[in-house]
Amino acid sequence: MMWPSRLPKGLSVKFALTITVAVASVAFAIGAVMVTLNWQRFQQELENKALLLANSVAVTAPADILQNDYWSLYKSLKNMAKKGTGVLRETQVITAMIIDPKGVVLTHLQPDKNPLGMPLAHSNKTEERLLNAVKNLRSPAILNNGFGSSGFLEGVVPIFSDEKILGFVRVRLSYQELFVKTQRSAIIILGLTAALVLLGSLLGTAIAKKITRPLAAMTEGMEAVGRGELADIKKIPVSNDDELGILASTFNNMAQEMVEKKSLEEQIAVSEKLVALGRISAGVAHEVNNPLAGLMNCIDTLKKHPDDPELVERYLPLLDQGLNRIKNIVESLLIELRTEDAISSESSTSLEDLRDIVESEIKERGIDFIWENHLGEDVLINRPRVQQIVLNLLKNSIQALNDKGTITFRTFRDGDCVFLEVGDNGPGIPAEIRKQLFDPFFTTKRNGTGLGLWIVYRLVESMRGVIEVESEVGRGTQFLVTLPTVEVRA
Amino acid sequence: MVIGRCRVCLVLFFLAFVQMPQASHAGPIEISATNKPIRFGLTAVVVRENLRFLDQWAYYLSKKMGQRVEFVRRRSYREVMDMLESGSLDFAWICGFPFVQKRDPEFIKLISVPIYHSKPLYHSFIIVHKDSPHQSLKDLRGKTFAFSDPESNSGYLYPQYLLTQKETNQEAFFRKTFFTFNHAETVEAVAEQFADGGAVDSYIWEYLKEFNPELADKTRVINQSPAFGFPPLVARLGVDMETVWRMKRVVTNMNENTDGRKFLKGLKLDGFGDFPPSLFDNIREMIVKTRNAQPNGNSLISNSDLNSVIKK
Repeated sequence: MMWPSRLPKGLSVKFALTITVAVASVAFAIGAVMVTLNWQRFQQELENKALLLANSVAVTAPADILQNDYWSLYKSLKNMAKKGTGVLRETQVITAMIIDPKGVVLTHLQPDKNPLGMPLAHSNKTEERLLNAVKNLRSPAILNNGFGSSGFLEGVVPIFSDEKILGFVRVRLSYQELFVKTQRSAIIILGLTAALVLLGSLLGTAIAKKITRPLAAMTEGMEAVGRGELADIKKIPVSNDDELGILASTFNNMAQEMVEKKSLEEQIAVSEKLVALGRISAGVAHEVNNPLAGLMNCIDTLKKHPDDPELVERYLPLLDQGLNRIKNIVESLLIELRTEDAISSESSTSLEDLRDIVESEIKERGIDFIWENHLGEDVLINRPRVQQIVLNLLKNSIQALNDKGTITFRTFRDGDCVFLEVGDNGPGIPAEIRKQLFDPFFTTKRNGTGLGLWIVYRLVESMRGVIEVESEVGRGTQFLVTLPTVEVRA
Repeated sequence: MVIGRCRVCLVLFFLAFVQMPQASHAGPIEISATNKPIRFGLTAVVVRENLRFLDQWAYYLSKKMGQRVEFVRRRSYREVMDMLESGSLDFAWICGFPFVQKRDPEFIKLISVPIYHSKPLYHSFIIVHKDSPHQSLKDLRGKTFAFSDPESNSGYLYPQYLLTQKETNQEAFFRKTFFTFNHAETVEAVAEQFADGGAVDSYIWEYLKEFNPELADKTRVINQSPAFGFPPLVARLGVDMETVWRMKRVVTNMNENTDGRKFLKGLKLDGFGDFPPSLFDNIREMIVKTRNAQPNGNSLISNSDLNSVIKK
């Protein structure tokens, strides 16, 4: 049998077992009741038979008794016993007798032990009790003696002639027949019970399988969702409209929606990438194109007047300036590709270099600078990258302050992370442009390249760090960079 | 007796069925449909309860007689005797005891006596169970005893005679007695120890020894009577001489043809012979002696026994 391979094995076994046990107990209970009823019915039949047999002898007995025709009595007893034994030998006439009212044998099936004309030999207490019971009978009756294998019942019919009692016919039947018949019926009932139990367990297994199959499929589906392998989710067959069917169809819908959502997200990501790429390309083209026009102009002029030293002197610096601008742009774009920086690590004290640069920059402006470097010497950092990050952020703040305000720089370590915090109390960043803050070539400044924060973002990302920005218009902006120490130490 | 009548009906029934087809292919038998059949009474003296045998024998006799012969079976001699007297039987196979009893007027006459072991004689056997300790009749005092028929010589008269010789009677001597009305059943009663002892016809007992040894071997003979005349065939006096003479010739000649010998063999008899009534004289003497010794002196049969027989 194909068991669902995963989790539902327990459930299906439980189902099957429960149904089997339920069917078995019901079947056995019914079986027991039937056996008991059969036993009672067979006993009734046996009693009727005993009376019937005794009666068959009693009918002809009076004349024979009155005529001392013991031989006829004996023969009618023998015929009765033969008749009573039946074809299958299931009924056992243990013994039969006719006794007179005093208990003297008139005829007996075992004449050698119970001679004619002698008081009935009562060998034990049971026989004596039975004999006394018989003597007091005045109507047909059944006497019982135990239910063991040696148990028997006795049909007793008094023989009357003109209301005078002549004697009693006693026919003793073995319970053997009862046992045999009950056993036979019990075997049949047991067989039926076993068949029912088998059927029940098959049914249980089938039901369990039916219930657990969609559950197993759903489990597999959910595991696939967990792994993100939405393509692996197979559609669960919805067999009917019960609770399981509804669950399966709901699950199918959910899986379908997730697949659709994922594909939609992928489409969006692709288009976003294309948009970004377009923006970068446009930015690059624009940034490179701007100086190029000037450069071409200079070169044209120089070509026309190759011998004018004044022109050469005037245009060469312009050419130099324009080419440098292009060089800077290209360098910025390639920043993260400089792999030689990636493994470089130095003590965090190397940040102190920046302090001098910034201080010299803001010296002549009305800007306060607060420097708080709390990193110990043991903390190693990727010097070129971290310096670039901090420098870009500080420059950004200086430009934002427009010669008035305070710049704060703070570093500290907490657990496995190093925190770099750069804040200013400048005009803040309006909410509508905050989303584009880290986009390349996005700038609010006339001369800005729009690459400073983009470079910061990419550097932080290259070190698996996180950059967050908090800003409020009119109150200032604060950048918080979190870097894992592991990377810092590396 | 209902059973007896039924048995006769059965016999008649079978005869009607068996005889007719056989008659049609066995050649000419001059049995006129208007002719009254010859009615032949049988009692327990014949062992064979085999209806087929009796049918065939009846057919044989019919063929030889040129007139249909019907066997009529009755349980007791008394019934057969009554039927002979009333004329409803023409012939009968009876016992020496009823034969020699005095009748006024006489209505039967002897026609033939079976020959058994070369003689027209047989005995009465007193039998007991083979495991019984009893060695003679006197050991059976206080025991139960089976008689065959109240008018049977071997099955009743002879043991009565023995008792009178011991100056006692059956009621005083035995605890209980009963009649089986059939020698074979007397053997059965003793074999099954329902009776401690019984009196039977030696012919029947020996017959059973051969054909039903399982039964007869359970019994043992403790007393053998002197030889008596074998139960004879008798004819009713009213039957015409011609028929009587033919019947006498038919049975006497049975050992002279194959079919007849076959039936004789089946009956374990040598044949039938012509013997004088004096053959039964010793039975008559025994009756006289017994009657004289009986307290009431009138009948061998006690009143209760007589009642039972009459009722049946």
